[in-house]
Amino acid sequence: MIWLTWRQFRAQTLVAAGALALLAIYLIYLGSEIRSFYDTRIANCAEQACYLARLDLRATYDDAISIMVVLLIAVPGLIGVFWGAPLVTQELEQRTDRLVWNQSVTRTKWLAVKLTVIGLASMAVAGLFSLLLTWSASRYDQVIGERFAALSFGSRNIVPIGYALFAFVLGTVVGMIVKRTLPAMAITLIIFAGLQLLIPTAIRQNLMPPITDTVAVDTNVLNSGVGMNLKEDNTFDIQGYTANGSWALQFSSPLYKADGTPYRGEDAKPCLIPDDREASDACTAAQNLHFDYTYQPGYRYWTFQWIELSMFFGLSLLLTAFGFFWLRRRS
Amino acid sequence: MTLAIHTDSLSKRYRRHLALDDCTLAIPDGRIVGLVGPNGAGKSTLLGLVSGMIAPTSGSIEVLGHRPAVSPEQLARVGFVAQDAPVYSRLTVADHLKLGARLNPKWDQAFAERRIRERGLDLKQKAGSLSGGQRAQLALTVAAAKRGQLLVLDEPVAALDPLARRGFMRDLLDFVDELEVSVTLSSHLLGDLEQVCDHLIVLANGRVLISGDVSDLLAVHHRITSRAGDPNRLPADAELIHAENSRGESSVIVRSTSPVPGAEAVDLEDMTLAYLTRATTTGPVGPTRAMTEADR
Repeated sequence: MIWLTWRQFRAQTLVAAGALALLAIYLIYLGSEIRSFYDTRIANCAEQACYLARLDLRATYDDAISIMVVLLIAVPGLIGVFWGAPLVTQELEQRTDRLVWNQSVTRTKWLAVKLTVIGLASMAVAGLFSLLLTWSASRYDQVIGERFAALSFGSRNIVPIGYALFAFVLGTVVGMIVKRTLPAMAITLIIFAGLQLLIPTAIRQNLMPPITDTVAVDTNVLNSGVGMNLKEDNTFDIQGYTANGSWALQFSSPLYKADGTPYRGEDAKPCLIPDDREASDACTAAQNLHFDYTYQPGYRYWTFQWIELSMFFGLSLLLTAFGFFWLRRRS
Repeated sequence: MTLAIHTDSLSKRYRRHLALDDCTLAIPDGRIVGLVGPNGAGKSTLLGLVSGMIAPTSGSIEVLGHRPAVSPEQLARVGFVAQDAPVYSRLTVADHLKLGARLNPKWDQAFAERRIRERGLDLKQKAGSLSGGQRAQLALTVAAAKRGQLLVLDEPVAALDPLARRGFMRDLLDFVDELEVSVTLSSHLLGDLEQVCDHLIVLANGRVLISGDVSDLLAVHHRITSRAGDPNRLPADAELIHAENSRGESSVIVRSTSPVPGAEAVDLEDMTLAYLTRATTTGPVGPTRAMTEADR
């Protein structure tokens, strides 16, 4: 049975292996480029040079890494569409189910071997690609530090393995239900893409209860690239604050004075010192402002990776159980 | 004695359509069974149930004493070639033999290779580029080299020209002897099966019209020809199957276990047609009219 699975899957394996080899060559090249950039310009840099080098690193490698990220995000989708969806539909369409299910192998075993072999191949492809990209972009990630960003999180470390297995099983099960290859491919893609949009925007942040801290506005906060926004009701919001390595769950947050009342337009007037940012910041810091900051802390990164991986493994398991149920009911 | 196929009130329903209706059969082992009936009679459904490709809606079926496709052992006992002889079009002939060898513990590689050679198939050719006849031969070889006890063939000659049909059947008889398997094969043409089968099942509208060993069936069916107005001499237990009138002569086919004086023998084709005609004629109009004429 393993031989038959391999024989039917040979062309796809070769295509995947070839693509992976090309990606490996490129990612190793890219990784060493970024490393030498890091070693020469960032490793022992002084303040202003550091700032410029970081901008330069981003400008130089952002496109290349983004393309790789998009590819890696797409790989599970491709696996679901081209490996999962046709797995059963092709047998049904060419009526070869009647050939293969009449050999001395029960169809339960047939499905088990197919899902195991191709499922492992799917995880291996996504896992290797992710390993390469994670290594290649590690210095970049270390400097830019947006590992909770939707695209970064989903394209590094272990979660792509879960996506790939899930997409493959999803494609297979959709194929069982729809019974025709092309519609099964389309439906698989739509479901998987929908889930990949839904999870980073609405689900991931709730996987663990977030933490809310009160942050005092000092010069460090003011220097971290935040903005103060005066709203129509004459109160201020602070925008774009992210504590080091954490995942901010809000973009803007109302500013409060030490007595807990909103920071209003007239309160800010004394600190409007034209052409002297340092004096202006020092004045604002002296006002003892604070705001609430709700976030997922950076040390939870790996917990999130494992939760999401387990979640996708769990979904794959449920779908697999449905697949066997379908096969049994069909017989 | 184990029965090759034993069904009891077997039915299969697809949504609203009743494909097989209350079918009870007991087919002894060691027969070549011909399953005949018009298109849509339920032949493929019955053979699908025998092979275990589909499950019954109600009733029971046992093949060689076990539920179909219930275990690898049972799957190994039954070789099945579905309608249109499906094969993997992208795999070569040699790949198909390897598939058979890998997936069947009792696989007979020598037999398979010999048959492929004798049929003039190229081992390196892709199955997708084979002709209909060659594909049928490949599928049959894979099913037969499993060395099961029962070979089930759904419309094996439908795609073949008349000459190839005859060759296929002769060849089938040869290797049935060699492999000592029972065979069940279907066709919508009795002519295809007549020369090979020793047991006949006639199916129409999902119902079994008649089932039995050919010699037994021929022994109890008779044709009586009489002029209109002649006194009729039907024995008391005779069942009228079909009657037709032409030019003042009436010809009746009856089933009777006791001898019918003045009756002629009936051949398999006429007998089958008589049953099919009775089943497809709407209502009892035909037979009833014949009866009144016969009574007169």
